[in-house]
Amino acid sequence: MIEVRDLTKVFDTRGHVVRAVDDVSTDVARGEVLVVIGPSGSGKSTFLRCLNGLEEIDSGSVSIDGLDLANPKTDINAYRREVGMVFQHFNLFPHMTVLENLCLAQKVVRKRGKAEREDKARALLEKVGIGQKVNEYPSRLSGGQQQRVAIARALCMDPKVMLFDEPTSALDPEMVGEVLDVMKTLALEGMTMVCVTHEMGFAREVADRVLFFDHGKLLEDTAPAEFFAHPKDPRAQAFLRQVL
Amino acid sequence: MTKKKRPLWPWHLLTVLILVGLAAGIWYSTSLISYEWRWNRVPQYFAYQAEDAQRAADFGRVESVVEDGDRARVTLATESGKQQVVEVARNSLLVAEGDDVSEGDSLGVNRHWAAGPLLWGLWTTLWISVAAGAAGLVIGLFTGLCRLSPNPTLRDLSSVYVELVRGTPLLVQIFIFYFFIGTVLNLSREFAGVAALALFTGAYVAEIVRAGVQSIARGQSEAARSLGLNGAQAMRHVILPQAFKRVLPPLAGQFISLVKDTSLVSVIAITELTKSGREAITTSFSTFEIWFCVAALYLVINLPLSQIANKLERRLAQSD
Repeated sequence: MIEVRDLTKVFDTRGHVVRAVDDVSTDVARGEVLVVIGPSGSGKSTFLRCLNGLEEIDSGSVSIDGLDLANPKTDINAYRREVGMVFQHFNLFPHMTVLENLCLAQKVVRKRGKAEREDKARALLEKVGIGQKVNEYPSRLSGGQQQRVAIARALCMDPKVMLFDEPTSALDPEMVGEVLDVMKTLALEGMTMVCVTHEMGFAREVADRVLFFDHGKLLEDTAPAEFFAHPKDPRAQAFLRQVL
Repeated sequence: MTKKKRPLWPWHLLTVLILVGLAAGIWYSTSLISYEWRWNRVPQYFAYQAEDAQRAADFGRVESVVEDGDRARVTLATESGKQQVVEVARNSLLVAEGDDVSEGDSLGVNRHWAAGPLLWGLWTTLWISVAAGAAGLVIGLFTGLCRLSPNPTLRDLSSVYVELVRGTPLLVQIFIFYFFIGTVLNLSREFAGVAALALFTGAYVAEIVRAGVQSIARGQSEAARSLGLNGAQAMRHVILPQAFKRVLPPLAGQFISLVKDTSLVSVIAITELTKSGREAITTSFSTFEIWFCVAALYLVINLPLSQIANKLERRLAQSD
């Protein structure tokens, strides 16, 4: 479903060149859950942001269902509708209520009628467990609740793929569980997901495959049981020794 | 250490005392320069009783004068055999029954209330401010977005505009607009004045808008774009509403400045508040009183403007 071929992204800030994503190729099948792990600055977030065009890629290609992101004829907005994204810092729209947050893109992009989009929003809020906060502003919600709203907001667009960029890293520890539970439910329902996370438990339990990044290189691409039991790359071994 | 709650009223009292002291000081020093205050001359510059002279239409005789309350009805029999009936104020009646009148002779006057020069000036200042403010807001919004555009030409053109306008005095811009552009394009003085003020305000609003948009975290735009909104939609629905909330205080300041800057268009003979004040002084010689009134009238516009901005700010703060 997602095809990544020879993807390279180079950051050049005042002559300081960083190869954030260095010649990465992989595939994601429909319904598969990928967990991307690696040390800070390893390029895993950049890799994820390349998947929906938030970073312009320098070479290689990314395509979803045959729609090539690098092709100038591709309508990037049409492409992004099909890809939901959840951010580390939630990025809810603070000037809108929860319901308005969920309805904006449905109205502007999908052109859904008022009743249809609100029903959809309420159903999804119910599903992530915050049905009673419909008319609150995001600033009145806890971090965990905000992140669940953000997940519901992405789901409103009926995406084919969901991307998670460290969704629990900015949360207080007691709120991590509620967000991971929502993600697990999604995975069980067969959503195709790519998650950048430091939650090793989630990776072990939910992931179909684990990708390990370091210095922009994709070093491991295996099943979680294999990865956690017998990491092949020495850097993956060192990383696991530190986090487990 | 616990915080003790101290009453605030002594401080407010002190404020009042200081203000009263200042006022007393001003009063004392003006009493030293032997200026005769004549506030009674001021009201006529706000509103006065205008007089319309009523005249005989033709040669003839006053046939009858019927007095009715404070009105008087004068009936004229003209030489051509027609009748002319004129109503005038009774205490302004200039003719009596049996008088001969010539064409154009005054029979009396009709009085009605009319706005004086200060009220007309206030009105002119108000509409010039509103017109220039609305145009300046549109220009500023457009230019501010051009400053952030990925297109280098739009960026350059908007930068040149902002730098040119910010780097030259408004007074000079008004002269250039009136004498140069106004002559070349045959503009009326009002149009030239409003256009100069609008362009001046636009440049400052552009910088305010740019700063506001740039102050919104990048994640907001990324979240909007990742939902499939295009750049314009993200700007319209996500970035600008948040930016507007942040730039409201400087924007209000800019519009208050604009109201005061309209006083400069008096130099191209637009009779707004300041020029009306100057004209009132030439006939009343009450220099101090008129200038105080002019200052108060500017406050009459600007204090509500601040209030509205404050209210709007509080209303937008409900999502915080």
